[in-house]
Amino acid sequence: MNKILYVLDNNQSSEYQYNIVEDTIIFHFSINSSSKVKINLLTEGVQLYYYYSNINYSNHEFSIDIRHMKSNTHSEVINHGVNVFNKKLKYSVNGIVEKDCSGCICNQENEIINMDDGKSEICPNLIIDNYDVVANHGAYIGKFPFDKIFYLMSRGITRDEANRLLLHGFLIESDSIDVNRISQFLDEIQKI
Amino acid sequence: MLVIKDLSCSVKDSDYSILDHFSLTINDGEIHVIMGPNGVGKSTLSKVIMGHYQYEIHSGDILLDKESILNLDVDERSRKGLFLCMQDPTVIDGVSNSEFLRTAKNSITSKKVNLYTFIKELEDGMKDLSLDENMIHRSLNKGFSGGEKKKNEILQMKILKPKMIILDELDSGLDVDSLKIVCDNINSYLKENRTASLLIITHYPRILEYIKPNFVHILKDGKIVKTGDYQLALEIEKNGYHGINDISGDDVSE
Repeated sequence: MNKILYVLDNNQSSEYQYNIVEDTIIFHFSINSSSKVKINLLTEGVQLYYYYSNINYSNHEFSIDIRHMKSNTHSEVINHGVNVFNKKLKYSVNGIVEKDCSGCICNQENEIINMDDGKSEICPNLIIDNYDVVANHGAYIGKFPFDKIFYLMSRGITRDEANRLLLHGFLIESDSIDVNRISQFLDEIQKI
Repeated sequence: MLVIKDLSCSVKDSDYSILDHFSLTINDGEIHVIMGPNGVGKSTLSKVIMGHYQYEIHSGDILLDKESILNLDVDERSRKGLFLCMQDPTVIDGVSNSEFLRTAKNSITSKKVNLYTFIKELEDGMKDLSLDENMIHRSLNKGFSGGEKKKNEILQMKILKPKMIILDELDSGLDVDSLKIVCDNINSYLKENRTASLLIITHYPRILEYIKPNFVHILKDGKIVKTGDYQLALEIEKNGYHGINDISGDDVSE
C-alpha cells in the first residue's frame, strides 16, 4: 500500500472525508466516540482497506459511506466493535457503486461483541448500480463464540485471560498495524 | 490416574442421552483406545472429561489422581494436567500462535516463563514436528492445513507437558508421513514422561500401528461393551462393528 493513515477518536464526535487517489490503508481507532466517515474512490483501479476498531461505553453511532466513483476500484471495510456496557451502539455501513463504474469490488465485514446486554445494531447496505461488480457484506452481533473460549481454556488459560486475548485479537486484527502508534488504544483494551 | 465412574450425561437442555453409566480406569503410564461407530459418544466423552459446558452430568464422577474434577472449570482441569487434542482445532483470528502458547505456558506453570527458554523449546518442538517456523507468528490455526492443525496440537502438548492426554481422531486430516511424525513425537513424549497416560479416540486402527495400546475398548450406546488388546482393533477393522458380538475380547457386563 502506498499510504497508511492512523486515526484516533477519544470521547469525541468527528466527521471525516477522504478522497482516495492512491492505494490506501486507514486504521481508525475509536474510544467511546461517534464518527461519520465519507470516502470517495476517485482513481481507476485504486484500493482502500478501512479497519475500524471501536470500544464503546455509552450510546454512540458510527456511519461510513464508501463511494466507488471509478471503474475497477476495490474497497474492503472491516468494522469491529466492543459494546462494553448496557448501551446502544449502531453501525451504518454503506457501499455505493455508481452506474458507470464496472469491475469494482466492494466488500464489508461488521462485528460487534456485546460484553453485557447492550443494544447493538448493524445496518450493512450495498447500493450497487452496475451489473459487473463483486459485493459482499457480513454482520455479527453477539458474544465471543464459546468454542473459542473453550479452546483457550482447555490450554489452562483462565476465562478472563481468554477474553483478553480474544479482545486484543478482535480489535487489533491486522498484522500491518504499527502497535507503537496506538498505545492509547492498547491501554484502553486492558481496561475492558 | 484417570477414573471415570458410572458416568451418565446428556446434551444440556435436551433429553438426548449420550453416555450411559460409563466407567473406565486409566492408570499412570497406560495407553487406552476407544473405538466405535459414528455417533456413539466418543468425542462427547472427550469433551465431558474436559468440562465442556454443552453437556449435563446426571450421575457418576470423574477423578484425576483420586480427586473429583467435576466441579472444576475447563482451565482448572487443564492446569491439573488434562490435555485434549481436538478433532477440529478452533481457528482464532488475531491471536498469534506464539502469544497463545506463551500465555498458556504461563498459566499452566503459574509463573512467567523465561522468554529465551520458551523460544528454544518452541523451536525444538517445531523442528521435531517438521513445522514451518513462520506458523508461530500466524493467527492460531488460521489458514493451517489439516495436518498443520494436528501438528500444532501436538506442539502444544510438548510445551504444556500434561499428564493425561486425550487424542480425539488424531489421524483425521493427517497424511501417512505426517501421522508417523506426530506419533513419533507422542511416543518420545511418553518415553520422557513415564507416568503420562493416553486415551486415543479413533475409528481406525491405523494410528495404533505407531502407538501401541495396552487396552482397546469398544463404545456402543454410551457405554463400553467390549475390552481387549490391539488384536481387538484389528478384528474391528476386518469385520466392522456389526459383528461385535462375534469377535474376541471381554464382554463388559453392567
